[in-house]
Amino acid sequence: MTMISGLMLWRLVVTCVYLPTELIGKWISDMINWGLDLLFHLPAYTVEFLALNSKPLLQVLILPGLAFVLVFAIIAVWFERKFLARAMLRVGPYYCGKKSGVLQVFADFLKLFMKEIIVPEGIDFLFFAAMPILVSTVPAMALILIPFDQNWVLWDIGSLSMPMFFAIAGLAPLIPIFAGWAANNKYTFIGAFRVAYMYISAEIPLVLCGAAVAIMAGSFDLLKIVEAQKSMWFAVPQFVGFVIFFLGVIIEAERTPFDIPVAEVELVLGWRTEYSGILFGFTMMAEYVLFQAWSLLFITLYLGGFNGPNIFGNITLSHIFWLLVKFVILVVLIILIRCVFPRLRLDQMLKLGWRYMTPLAVINLALVLVMKLGGIY
Amino acid sequence: MSEPEIKPDIMRMSWGPQHPMSGQTRILLDVDGEKVHRIIADLGFTHRGIEKTLENRTFFQGIIPIERMVMADTANIGLGYITAIEESLGIEVPERANWIRSLLCEMGRINSHLYAFGLQAEATGYFPAVFLWTTTDRTVLLKLFEELTGARWSYNFSLPGGVYKDLPEGFEAKVIEGVHYLRRRFEDYWTAMVENAVFEARCDNVAVLKPEDAIRLGATGPVLRGSGVALDVRKDEPYAAYADLDFDVITEPACDVMARTKVRFKEIGQSLRIMEQIANEVPGGPVRTRVPLIPRSKPGEVLSRVETARGEMDVHMFTDGGSNPYRVKIGSPTLRNMYVFERLAELDEVLMADIPVVINSIDPWYLDSDR
Amino acid sequence: MSFLKKLFKPFMVVAPYVLRNGQTIGFPTERPIFSERFRGRHRLYLDRCVSCNTCVRLCPDKSIELVEVEGREGKFPQIDYQTCSLCGYCVEFCPKSALEFTDLVEYSVTDRSELIYSPERLAEVPDIKEVLPMLKRRTERYLTETEIKSRTVEEL
Repeated sequence: MTMISGLMLWRLVVTCVYLPTELIGKWISDMINWGLDLLFHLPAYTVEFLALNSKPLLQVLILPGLAFVLVFAIIAVWFERKFLARAMLRVGPYYCGKKSGVLQVFADFLKLFMKEIIVPEGIDFLFFAAMPILVSTVPAMALILIPFDQNWVLWDIGSLSMPMFFAIAGLAPLIPIFAGWAANNKYTFIGAFRVAYMYISAEIPLVLCGAAVAIMAGSFDLLKIVEAQKSMWFAVPQFVGFVIFFLGVIIEAERTPFDIPVAEVELVLGWRTEYSGILFGFTMMAEYVLFQAWSLLFITLYLGGFNGPNIFGNITLSHIFWLLVKFVILVVLIILIRCVFPRLRLDQMLKLGWRYMTPLAVINLALVLVMKLGGIY
Repeated sequence: MSEPEIKPDIMRMSWGPQHPMSGQTRILLDVDGEKVHRIIADLGFTHRGIEKTLENRTFFQGIIPIERMVMADTANIGLGYITAIEESLGIEVPERANWIRSLLCEMGRINSHLYAFGLQAEATGYFPAVFLWTTTDRTVLLKLFEELTGARWSYNFSLPGGVYKDLPEGFEAKVIEGVHYLRRRFEDYWTAMVENAVFEARCDNVAVLKPEDAIRLGATGPVLRGSGVALDVRKDEPYAAYADLDFDVITEPACDVMARTKVRFKEIGQSLRIMEQIANEVPGGPVRTRVPLIPRSKPGEVLSRVETARGEMDVHMFTDGGSNPYRVKIGSPTLRNMYVFERLAELDEVLMADIPVVINSIDPWYLDSDR
Repeated sequence: MSFLKKLFKPFMVVAPYVLRNGQTIGFPTERPIFSERFRGRHRLYLDRCVSCNTCVRLCPDKSIELVEVEGREGKFPQIDYQTCSLCGYCVEFCPKSALEFTDLVEYSVTDRSELIYSPERLAEVPDIKEVLPMLKRRTERYLTETEIKSRTVEEL
């Protein structure tokens, strides 16, 4: 009896104590070996990863990715302040940065980082905090579809690129509406309604004009649209569409004379009223990111995209250079329009959108169809 | 099945003291979407008790607080009080002093109208160019004030009995140079602002105020003259040197915001004309009659009216024989125009986006209405 | 047609302004020249004052008070710049012309008791370079055809 129980006891000890400990120990030593192996080979793996994906990384980080968006936002803020100041017969930022005020933008952003974020009572906190972050990243997502060169498109989805741009940029007005409702304030509420009115009336002519361009080029792919403009920019045969899309860019970017949702004289900053600190910084940056996305699309559709003579020897660099030159000229022109005109009222802007822009866009589409079917172009 | 009845949801918004554009006042708006149903003006934020202060100061000391009632055209406001004192004490003013007082009044009027322009441009939507041009052009006037009186804003240059000092050497030539410069600048203003397509779209046919309503509700100043009624204290009861000067009273037939803006614009032209006449033809003579520093008054009551840039101001003074006035009642132009503004929602359809434009066409200065 | 004219003409008028220089005076490296009647801080002549109390009675803000001074007989005015509104009655009506205006307006301090200027302090007027160490030029404004320009009058 005792000998049988002794054997059973021995087997019990082996299975329940010895074996698991040995298995666990083996498992731990295997993990350690794997970790050490990874650590020693890590530099080699990193170099191999970077060498394999160098171009997408460059695109994501520098052009048209993170660095391009942020640098444009910073330079555009500084440039607009100095440019408008000259039109107003004064100097803009002067002391930060040796008489040109370049560091003023950095100083402002640093100040915004250090401010307290005031959260009012009775708001929907998830929407309140999430909307400023979305409002500057969703347009950046639309920005990566623009081709800078034949082989320099960050998100290359072929013939879906133009509809995808409109789809993503069509999400952009939803975010101020959510933000304005979530902030529990009468001013933001009215601002949210104005955003809804404005964008509904502006999107339809824009999509019609985009469709006309696609018909004339023969495809929805942004690369093929740019290639089809090698001989003549689409601005010339589609002059009406050019003017409508130009107005549409200013409306979508919410700049004067159409910055109705953020009308500071009636509604203290509209849907951005309750934001303070870095959330406010995000909403400020969002205006420039949206502006950048739409104006690059405008150049791609109507002004020939990256086409231009080869002046650097390297065709990629020349194409990128020409696109940036056209972009800078367009930005300066739109900032100059801000100097000259005051703001339209909401019902006047809706009248412009529904009574003038939409019928003209339909006429533009009909003209393009006639030109294409008649074989003129 | 009948259609459901749609009731508008009225939201009471406060265009309030904590606002980038409201100034020192609070205006409650009952809005439903964009249309404004009712306007309630809640004034009194800047009440400083000027009328009570004047009872505790002698006549000369009282000029200082009353000049700070409207900072944009101090000359006109101070002149109202000073003419009241002179009428009640029976002091004669030499002719040259009257002409210099008119010069100060007209320069103050241009100053105030330029400031009103800048605010109007900003109210229609941050019109950056014009808003700061007016500030720059006012430096010409401020420099002239500084050479004549010694201060840029609140000059304290007229006193009962005349003005303090004579015109400095070469001042008339500087006035004429300033007048020519401002005339050249106004062509730019006219093209860039008044004949601007978007500005016209914002200001035409907005807040129409018919002449009968304007007279019935008691409007004054450019608000009244923008509705076609030609009433101006400088022509009806001339004070200072206005009886000898040659100018027109500007009215406009269209009774909207654009008409009031144009009235102010053309009034600047008339003021420049008056300044040129004064600089060329000011008569010689003494500028001051001797008055005791702390005069004693005779019992009585006196009323004097002046035309400030915003409208007509009355000073109604009761004296009882002491060295302080017994009671001073000031009738301010802004308070009368704010009453008209409150009734505008019933007279014409006003949208919420129009409220800043309409308020700045009335050109209020809230320190004036609260005293 | 006139609508298009109203749309483009403001552009033609406003756009050239971008090429002009700013008309700001770059304080504190520049400072304008003020006229001789300019009202800044007061200056007291201790030898001329006879303690007649006229300035005290005339001051509308009650900023003047007569106090004793070491080493002199009689009382002299002490001006409180917290309430003084620079109106000019004391300067104008002093029978001995003991008070006059200078052109210093930079007298802001961090401690309020320093704004009450005793008679000895009123009697001495520091140089402009001591008050503004960063000052380099004094400028003056003049009018041209189209703009207000400033030119340098004095280099420091």
